[in-house]
Amino acid sequence: MGGRRTGQILLMLAGLIAWAVQFTAIYGVTSTLCGRGWADANLLGLEVVPMTILSATLVTLAATAVALIWSFRNYRLAKHQPVAAVDDFVSHAAVLINGLSIVVILWHGIPAFILPACA
Amino acid sequence: MNAPELPKAFERGEEELPNPLPRPEGEFEALKRAWKPPRGLRFLTAVNNTYVGVWYVGTAFLFFILAGILALIMRVQLARPENDLVGHGLYNQLFTMHGTVMMFLFAVPAVEAASVYLLPNMQAARDLPFPRLSAYAFWAYFVGGLVFFGTIFFGLSPDGGWFMYPPLTSTKYSPADNADWWLLGIGFIEISAIAGAIEIIVGVMKTRAVGMSLDKLPIYSWAMLVFAVMIVIGFPAIILGTLLLEMERAFDWPFFIAERGGDPLLWQHLFWFFGHPEVYIIFLPATGMVSMIVPTMAQTPLVGYRLIVLALIATGFLSFGLWVHHMFATGLPKMSLSFFSAASTAVAVPSGIQVFAWIATIASGRMRLTTPSLFVIGFLFIFTLGGLTGVMVAVAPFDWQAHDSYFVVAHLHYVLIGGMVFPLFAAFYYWVPAASKRALSERLGRWVFGLMFLGVNVTFLPMHITGLIGMPRRVYTYPVEMGWDALNLVSTIGAFMIAAGVAIFLYDLARNFRFTLEDNAGNVWNASTLEWLPNGTYNTRSIPSVVSRDPLWEQPNLSKDVEEGRYYLPGTVTGGREALVTSPFDARPQYILQVPGPGWQPVLAAVFTAAFFLLLTVKLVFPSVICGVLAVGCVIWWLWETDPGPVRPPADIGGGIVLPVYATGPMNHSWWAMIVLMVVAGMVFTCLIFSYLFLWLVNPGAWPPQGVRIPDWIWPSLSAFLYCASGALVAVASRQLRGDDRRSPRSVPVLIGVALPLVCGASAIDLWMQWETGLSPSAHAYGAAVYAITSLQIFFVLTTLVMGAYTIARWLAGRLDNVRRTTFDNTMLFWYYTAGQGLVALLVVHGFPRLTGGL
Ligand code: HEM
Ligand SMILES: [Cu+2]
Repeated sequence: MGGRRTGQILLMLAGLIAWAVQFTAIYGVTSTLCGRGWADANLLGLEVVPMTILSATLVTLAATAVALIWSFRNYRLAKHQPVAAVDDFVSHAAVLINGLSIVVILWHGIPAFILPACA
Repeated sequence: MNAPELPKAFERGEEELPNPLPRPEGEFEALKRAWKPPRGLRFLTAVNNTYVGVWYVGTAFLFFILAGILALIMRVQLARPENDLVGHGLYNQLFTMHGTVMMFLFAVPAVEAASVYLLPNMQAARDLPFPRLSAYAFWAYFVGGLVFFGTIFFGLSPDGGWFMYPPLTSTKYSPADNADWWLLGIGFIEISAIAGAIEIIVGVMKTRAVGMSLDKLPIYSWAMLVFAVMIVIGFPAIILGTLLLEMERAFDWPFFIAERGGDPLLWQHLFWFFGHPEVYIIFLPATGMVSMIVPTMAQTPLVGYRLIVLALIATGFLSFGLWVHHMFATGLPKMSLSFFSAASTAVAVPSGIQVFAWIATIASGRMRLTTPSLFVIGFLFIFTLGGLTGVMVAVAPFDWQAHDSYFVVAHLHYVLIGGMVFPLFAAFYYWVPAASKRALSERLGRWVFGLMFLGVNVTFLPMHITGLIGMPRRVYTYPVEMGWDALNLVSTIGAFMIAAGVAIFLYDLARNFRFTLEDNAGNVWNASTLEWLPNGTYNTRSIPSVVSRDPLWEQPNLSKDVEEGRYYLPGTVTGGREALVTSPFDARPQYILQVPGPGWQPVLAAVFTAAFFLLLTVKLVFPSVICGVLAVGCVIWWLWETDPGPVRPPADIGGGIVLPVYATGPMNHSWWAMIVLMVVAGMVFTCLIFSYLFLWLVNPGAWPPQGVRIPDWIWPSLSAFLYCASGALVAVASRQLRGDDRRSPRSVPVLIGVALPLVCGASAIDLWMQWETGLSPSAHAYGAAVYAITSLQIFFVLTTLVMGAYTIARWLAGRLDNVRRTTFDNTMLFWYYTAGQGLVALLVVHGFPRLTGGL
């Protein structure tokens, strides 16, 4: 597959990949810290567990948002000039997938603000 | 991407089809000759996807029936209280075998088998890209599965439940071989599943009808693609888990023994990381089938194609976030559990999207109530109910009550039978006319459906209540005074209704199923996809170019033109079997793949592989090793005939498209397979590193344990240097193999020959240094984990050794040069992978304990 095609596929899957990263980061950090009883770990006066969840969520959210905007531009572009049906399909799918990913990532970040860290 | 652009003109008028009429004399005969399956006993060596597909589906269905019989025995036992038909021990074996056989020998193989038959036909490919690999996967499964099932007759069956939790399955509580049967038998069948998955991925990506770009790919292909990727990601976890548990049982390496730093929870993580996606792995192909059947029955294009693709991809990803929800009752910190609740609910959304898309399709057309439609409707109903109780189970507090009760048994059967058995029956009724002289009977089909649908509800609906009023699962009997008898009796009656339905189905099959390709019943449903084109052992006479998702509806003359040979590649250009390889994104023809034909190699390799595992199970180590060596020998013999090189100059396939008959590099189909294989290997390794870190987590202050010394850093550095050096030599060899004029420089075997001892030395040094420090693999989980990583690496190095030696042999035999270099490329990719894995392993084993300082 040529580079352009790989890029299109990566853009299409960007949000879900971001979710996987968020998930791994959150799960890895909480279970490590809670498992070892380091729940109150502090870094520069900030509690590590909620901070990781917050930052992992924000970073992946931002990445997905960029991917969403980008794929939306591709999609709009495809509407205005003649492109192959397959490009139109992929750019549309990219918008849908990245949009869904935003919701999914938010959904996974929410528990951090409701539940105590290692209860 | 230097494949020629497709001139758009062929898609229209009569005259502009790629190949003119009349077709040359003898062209069709040559095609038929190339694809003819062997006769007599050698028929067993056939590799055509249609033959292997039918055998494969048949075997999977056989296991459905066998496991169903076990279920009936259990239901008879439970029909009344204090029954003594089967005792406690046998009952444990029965439910373990029923669950295991249904999940591993029926559900996954059945959907994989169906795709061996359907995928190439649906994509108008002549065959799968690696026909011998699917034959191998089938035979390994056939032999291994039957022997595994046979253990029930000798009281040797595993009895630890289908998820085999240690410590119940460790040597202490299960000293006999029963658990080993599960571990080796299932571990082995997973390997066959992975082989099939590699085939499917490359098949979907690389062998399609011309112009069948991603937006025109049948939903079934999409579903199978996601399915196969999920297998590639998920199954390594269970393979590693079984490997670790087997090492614990065989060599006393304490991965799961708490007294020596192990943790039984590790198994649960590994198992469910595979086990939850497993449910979707089974479910997705079934939805793919439904998405093919619904539009045909409603005679209207599928509504929401894009949304369904989105749903498939999203389900594939999200289902991996669910694994811990099966472990709610294990006391993991609630915080981390809530992520999984979140993931569990998130995955309900994509499933819902698909259901709505089907309902919308049904609503927008006029649904014919054929037997396949009935099964689809039954599927929607039962699966939705199962989904609802699933959401109930997913809400954590509720799970503490329902956990391990009959409520869970009911839920699981609603999901599995609704989500997979009903679609499979729909598929049987729907696709039999493509492979048989006669369609199955619609009249009997209604009975089959009616009995099964009622039966499932009569059996499993009451079980929700049985569970809520307290009946635990996995009990072989219950006392009279509990008040569970009436409900249980009803369940048993229901189970026999299902059995009656299946029996009628078998009768129908016996009466109407007559396997044939050339004069099959044909497109009886007026379906729109390519598997309904006129067929033969060569699949379609010529390979069509498609311009829509419903080619048979929108290109009216397609069947006739394809059959007359007016489309691409109407004959054979090399005289042998060929497939057209297309680009993964927009399906432009790239090259002509010379497909291997029938041979004993895959059959023998499969039999010896199975024998290797099975003999190992009964601890006949020496014969087992012999079989292992023979299996490797057969694989080498098999590979020897592959990689034929450009046997003729580029050939015209019609429409002015001239294609080479050989290609190397990223365009090559086996390059893709190699990449997928590396992902599999990488997943096994990642799971092992995860296990290492997990064991560290549960061993505060003992990593490494007291008195264990970490080897001096000089040794891992030397080892790392050797890995890098060997990789560099291979890279140099690859440079030597550049250029267009055919030559085979002598430096290539020399470079490989030098690189081999380096890579072997690297892993030997590491093993030896660990041993030197006196580290014992059985004293503590730390040692076990370190040696597990080292052993895995040694396994890869040994494989590299075989591949390197094989590559040198190819050069000596004059079968390797700078044009014909696929063998070299594959070895090179694997080599890089092994070296890379070795470096990471060194980093973890030597770096991590230093980093954490024994924390
Ligand atoms: C067709 C009718 C079927 C009947 C009557 C049936 C009946 C049963 C029964 C009685 C049990 C044991 C419950 C216990 O004692 O805990 C069971 C367990 C199970 N069944 Fe089925 N079953 C059927 C089909 C299936 C299918 C199609 C699948 C999967 C594709 C399946 C998968 C399982 C699993 C995974 C278990 C759990 C085994 C364990 O506890 O380890 N069953 N079934
Ligand atoms: Cu689950």
